Amino acid sequence: MVDEAPVLELRGITKRFPGVVANDHVDFDLRRGEVHALLGENGAGKSTLVNVLYGLYHPDEGSILVKGEPIRLHSPKDAIKHGIGMVHQHFMLIPVMTVAENIVLATEPTQGGVLLDYRAANKRVAELSSSFNFAIDPGARVESISVGQQQRVEILKALYRHADILILDEPTAVLTPQEARELFAILKTLTSQGMSVIFITHKLNEVLELADRITVLRRGNRIDTVDRQGATEQGLARMMVGRDVLLRVDKGAPSVAEPLLSIDDLHVIDERGLEAVRGVSFEVRSGEIVGLAGVDGNGQSELIDAISGLQRVSSGTVKLGGRDVTGVNPSSILDLGLGHIPEDRQLRGLVLEFSLAENLALHDFDKPPDSRWGWLFPRQLVRRARDLLKRYDVRGGGPQTRAAALSGGNQQKVVLAREIGRGPSVLIAAQPTRGLDVGAIEFVHRQLVEARDNGKAVLLVSLELDEILSLSDRVLVVYEGRIVAEHGPDVGEEQLGIEMTGGGREVAA
Amino acid sequence: MSVRAEQLQRAAWTRASAPQTIGLVGIALGFLALWLALPPFGVRTAPAPVAVGILAAAAGIWAISRGKVRVGGGAIVIGLVGIAGALLAMRASSSNLEGVFVWSALLAATLRFATPLTFAAIGGMFSERSGVVNIGLEGMMLMGAFFGAYGADQTGSWVGGIFIGMLSGALLALVHAIFTISLRADQIVTGTAINFLALGVTGYLYNQHYGNNGTPNNLPAIPDVNIKFLSHIPPHGLGNFLYNSIGQLNLMVWLSLLLLPVSYVVMFKTPVGLRIRSVGEHPRAADTLGISVYRTRYGAVILSGALAALGGVFLSIGFLNSFTENLTAGRGFIALAALIFGGWRPFGAFAAALLFGFSSALALRLPDLSASSSAAWPVLFQTLPYVLTLIAVAGVIGRSIPPAAIGRPYIKQ
Ligand SMILES: Nc1ncnc2c1ncn2[C@@H]1O[C@H](COP(=O)(O)OP(=O)(O)O)[C@@H](O)[C@H]1O
Ligand SMILES: [Mg+2]
Repeated sequence: MVDEAPVLELRGITKRFPGVVANDHVDFDLRRGEVHALLGENGAGKSTLVNVLYGLYHPDEGSILVKGEPIRLHSPKDAIKHGIGMVHQHFMLIPVMTVAENIVLATEPTQGGVLLDYRAANKRVAELSSSFNFAIDPGARVESISVGQQQRVEILKALYRHADILILDEPTAVLTPQEARELFAILKTLTSQGMSVIFITHKLNEVLELADRITVLRRGNRIDTVDRQGATEQGLARMMVGRDVLLRVDKGAPSVAEPLLSIDDLHVIDERGLEAVRGVSFEVRSGEIVGLAGVDGNGQSELIDAISGLQRVSSGTVKLGGRDVTGVNPSSILDLGLGHIPEDRQLRGLVLEFSLAENLALHDFDKPPDSRWGWLFPRQLVRRARDLLKRYDVRGGGPQTRAAALSGGNQQKVVLAREIGRGPSVLIAAQPTRGLDVGAIEFVHRQLVEARDNGKAVLLVSLELDEILSLSDRVLVVYEGRIVAEHGPDVGEEQLGIEMTGGGREVAA
Repeated sequence: MSVRAEQLQRAAWTRASAPQTIGLVGIALGFLALWLALPPFGVRTAPAPVAVGILAAAAGIWAISRGKVRVGGGAIVIGLVGIAGALLAMRASSSNLEGVFVWSALLAATLRFATPLTFAAIGGMFSERSGVVNIGLEGMMLMGAFFGAYGADQTGSWVGGIFIGMLSGALLALVHAIFTISLRADQIVTGTAINFLALGVTGYLYNQHYGNNGTPNNLPAIPDVNIKFLSHIPPHGLGNFLYNSIGQLNLMVWLSLLLLPVSYVVMFKTPVGLRIRSVGEHPRAADTLGISVYRTRYGAVILSGALAALGGVFLSIGFLNSFTENLTAGRGFIALAALIFGGWRPFGAFAAALLFGFSSALALRLPDLSASSSAAWPVLFQTLPYVLTLIAVAGVIGRSIPPAAIGRPYIKQ
């Protein structure tokens, strides 16, 4: 099936940004009908390379060949002309416009050359979408469809323009495991029809499942290109990070003691007036990690917010170390021993425009020794920050660096430093490794296990089954606001997958 | 998922739909309360209007209790204002009332006052839909007003005035475009500067050319469109009403009405409109499909200047037949407000312009209501358009959602 002549070749691509060489003489080639994975940690230069290929960045050195012909790309328009389509890491969709409008934009069918022919546009989009079994309504507004469907709209945008080379930049970062599996199936169909795919990711299991060949980038350099046959997670991780990485979490048996977090028949109404949490009860005990598995949007966020006092509880109780904290304000709950690693570190975990020292002081700035009589002591903040940054191995900045300037992994380390550094008895970690690369994931996981071994009660909420399974001592499955199943640590991924989508409900109820 | 969707729908209806409707009915009743006291009904006793107004307020209270604070509040305020207005109207003599509330004349004046706002608001729509805030509408209108008069004077023809006026607005808009799009200056600051620039340029040129005597009395004027046959439509009352309201309007009024569907079609039914909107919503997405963000924005801003200038041209050579310093007197800002209240849509902006137009027309006539009015009264009535707007906006319309990328300069990679 795979034809040996490359449809696309990049030779010696170099792209410099002020202070960084994002791509350093990178070679890359793509064969017809293959999935070629581009693997690397955050900041390795993957997006830069494909942006060069899509005409968004102009390389400082190097050349691009399509079907053996050298080409020049001045803008995405040229790339589109050469059959290159791209699904960007952050979708390039206009939320308030319809699916069809997004797809035909810039190549609209017209009536008499003046009016936009909406009928033709909708029809062509519907045909294209049904030929891939996408089941997308061309007239639906993009903001009203799921993220997985939005991604399909992006793919349709490329197909509508007759792309035969498709670039996907970290397409699975925003998907649920089910959606990711569906995406893989779509990509396999496309390649069987002769499409060539460049697939960017930093997730090793995906690479081994999907790719025909794998090119690893590290700090702007191409480390190697290997066939999937013979590649191992361990070997790829070493190429990516440059050292041996612990992929499986190393942890001993739990030594469980008294319950520190007890939830009893909790009900929460979300901001749309719907009951998002419908009678949830569970306990997390000292010395254990309890994993809460579930598809996004089944009440996890509301549950966490209710526990940490950010959302009103409509009935039921939350107890922290035996003490009823239902309806208590968030900062008192934090002071009573809750640590909270929020799911969106950039939005809720950090104030991006503040310095690291200020971010680390967000809980304690209003009490001595940080402040007294309404007077803040910045030197004290810096002193604490210096200590925490060192203990939690935060790289890329000091106490005065703005949080926005750090990479994702280091930002998360700052959040961990603040939340774990205060010595809470209960720790809630919501999607603590979302968007992080292998090295950073390893660090976060080690911290969570260490917290558990120090006798804290850890509640881990994650959409990644891998993560739930490798860390948890007990697993709870949440579906439509209810806990539908509970398992020991050795439950199978299949079983959880069924229960998470409502399949196991009758059995559990 | 389906359970939730169903629940959501049911919740949505019981929570929103019924109280919303009742609230809107309340608002209508509030207007009715006032209207009862005006010609042709001319109710002269308190009970009827008061009862209707109280009903309006009651509907508002009920809507508020069901969570529709905005509409409910609107109904209460309008109900109370309706009662107060009706009681005031009863204190004026019948003949005075009939002198003020000549509906055909009010309608004609409303359209006349709304016209410059409509042109400028539609112009603003093009600019803002493409992502560029256009506070400079005021200045662009003023340029149009002066150069319309100047052009008509120099060429001896109102057609020349229109073209030169539009050109001047487009040129000023080009300045705005260069600063905001290419040099990425702050759009609010640039727009403000544009307004002062226009004030200075037109003030200087006016004094230079017409300083002593003002603009000549025989300025070529844009003609009115006389639709004689309207007055022959039976029955006689209707024919007269039609002829007196829309039978003698200025050509520009009709042009502004024509501009509404045209601009609607361009913005929402053509590729050009789709591209303008895409650039205003998500310029990077447009860029990745090969649309030139800069070129699109330049085009939209320049068009916006030309259209705003048309509003000014109408003011000087279609309405007043003269130019004086700062002739527009803030109408560009009101057009901007109309654009925002109208949700950046042509007919929405027109509706808001009509509201302004109506209250301006009314404000001009209200002082005649009472014979003993002091000199301060007319000034107070001038605030009517703004008061009505505040009520309409805070009470009924609520927040309109601007284009997502508005105000943000685009930096190409
Ligand atoms: N527009 C830009 N300006 C300056 N630096 C950039 C820009 N885009 C990327 N970089 C830098 O280039 C490097 C590679 O980034 P990127 O290609 O986004 O990595 P990846 O996609 O592999 O995570 C990073 O150090 C990043 O900070
Ligand atoms: Mg990237």
